[in-house]
Amino acid sequence: MQKIHVPVKLPEGVEGKEVTVLGIESTSHTLGVGILRFSRGSVEILANISSQYKPEKGGIHPREASQHHMKNAPTVLREALGKAGVSMRDINTVAVAVGPGIGPCLRVGATIARFLSKYFNIPLTPVNHAVAHIEIGKLFSGFNDPVIVYVSGGNTMVLVQKNSQYRVMGETLDIPLGNLFDTFTREIGIAPPYVVDGKHAIDVCAEWSQEFQPLPYTIKGNDLSFSGLLTAALKLAKEANGDKESLGRVCNSLRETAFNMLIEVSERVLALTNKKQLLLVGGVASNKVLRWKMETLTSIYNVKYYGTPPDVAGDNGVMIAYTGLLLYLYGRTSKPEETHVKQRYRIDEEAYPWL
Amino acid sequence: MALSSESNLWGAEAVIYIGEFLGRKVVIKKRRSKQYRHPVYDTIFIQTRTRNEAKILAELYAAGLKVPAPLLVDVEKGALVMEYIEGERLSEKLANIEARELVEMAWDIGRQSALMHNRKIYHGDLTIANIIYSGRGVYIIDFGLAGYSTDIEEHAIDIHLLQKSIYSLYPHLLKPFMESYFKAYREYYSGSFDEIMYKLREISTRGRYIDRELRRSVMRERYVG
Repeated sequence: MQKIHVPVKLPEGVEGKEVTVLGIESTSHTLGVGILRFSRGSVEILANISSQYKPEKGGIHPREASQHHMKNAPTVLREALGKAGVSMRDINTVAVAVGPGIGPCLRVGATIARFLSKYFNIPLTPVNHAVAHIEIGKLFSGFNDPVIVYVSGGNTMVLVQKNSQYRVMGETLDIPLGNLFDTFTREIGIAPPYVVDGKHAIDVCAEWSQEFQPLPYTIKGNDLSFSGLLTAALKLAKEANGDKESLGRVCNSLRETAFNMLIEVSERVLALTNKKQLLLVGGVASNKVLRWKMETLTSIYNVKYYGTPPDVAGDNGVMIAYTGLLLYLYGRTSKPEETHVKQRYRIDEEAYPWL
Repeated sequence: MALSSESNLWGAEAVIYIGEFLGRKVVIKKRRSKQYRHPVYDTIFIQTRTRNEAKILAELYAAGLKVPAPLLVDVEKGALVMEYIEGERLSEKLANIEARELVEMAWDIGRQSALMHNRKIYHGDLTIANIIYSGRGVYIIDFGLAGYSTDIEEHAIDIHLLQKSIYSLYPHLLKPFMESYFKAYREYYSGSFDEIMYKLREISTRGRYIDRELRRSVMRERYVG
């Protein structure tokens, strides 16, 4: 299997170490288990298994999602261990995403991790979910100091690293980008399912028309606000009265406006910080139109671009395992009885030694 | 018109040229067409922003605020020619400033933002990178994100952005700066100063995953207070 060199600074003396990490992700609709092995400064992904909760109607229902995770956890865990060809005895640390995320969902992952840690007497490593999205992107891209655009169902942020911390340069003041698309497509009746064959309902609908019409565009400094855009788009969609082409025009305009807002903020942060790398991470990073826009933007500035591949861009266990590995190597483990979930675990509240 | 380019210096969306126009040193702000935008969107975007910026600059200049005088605008081409302000950006100036000077400057910025807000205009990107310290006083520049609104939220956001930009570069100057700023703002602002202060606190709780207690107390005040 492919070995990827770890692009960040590691503590001295870990070169010769061999570490196997199991990572658990359960912050939102995805239950994921990832297993990777670290040796000689490189990591090898052994398994990346996940199961997704898909609401039949509406958005994510916290209780239903957590029940899905509980029901599927044994299978996903067993499958991951089988795929990796390791047993729990080979695992050096269990990493788990403790936040930010949906409380009941977070608790499932934390409970499993605490149990595994106690039962097999393995150190537990708590991980910030958002940091994990970025770190896995950095691992695949090999970037060391990028402008980071993190877009997912629950997050929309532009960040840079400074003084061993991630600093939020701009973020959404209300709803995140993924949530905007989910809500809109749900309200107009073309979702759920939100994503089919890697394509979001908004992209399907946007193909019904090539036309563009102006919609509210709100940027405050480097912060974004999507709620006015959502309200206006919904109003127009209602006026479309089921006409496919008019609806297509609204979808196309909504997507165009939202992406351009994000591009403008990214561009401002690039110009401001003069950094030469741009990294796109998070679930929405799989969107082809956004990838194209980001690529075009970076080519203007002679900046290197990297979009995280879909299988590690969306929520997954591997990113938790990898970030867990970094924390573990720096001795940042925690006792099971002292490991709590944090629904509002901010990305900028602590320092990371490898930054 | 003699030109020299200072592209990328003053923001991402436009190229800035320094030139001469009727014997005056001027800045030419030319908004660029971007490949990543839908062509219709690209045109609307460039023209609306240019028209808007020129209009707001003209209004504020006429009202006696210290902003670059708009001299010429070509909406079709997305170009705006304005007076060149000789000086140093506040983001650099603050690195080396005397206490008395800081207080005077903050006071004048407070006064000017209040006057701007009184005209229902918000800046939209009021940071210390967009304020120039010149021999003739402090000038607010770059009205690319500015707009008209009667919502005091927009006014509070201007102040919030200013605070945030000082805090991220010069945290130790935040207190003396804002004290003096608010003193002037309160004196000149025609709306309710208390409402602005309340809004300001509410805005700071809006980022995602903000401290729960702070958010709760703001929510509680909204319903109970």
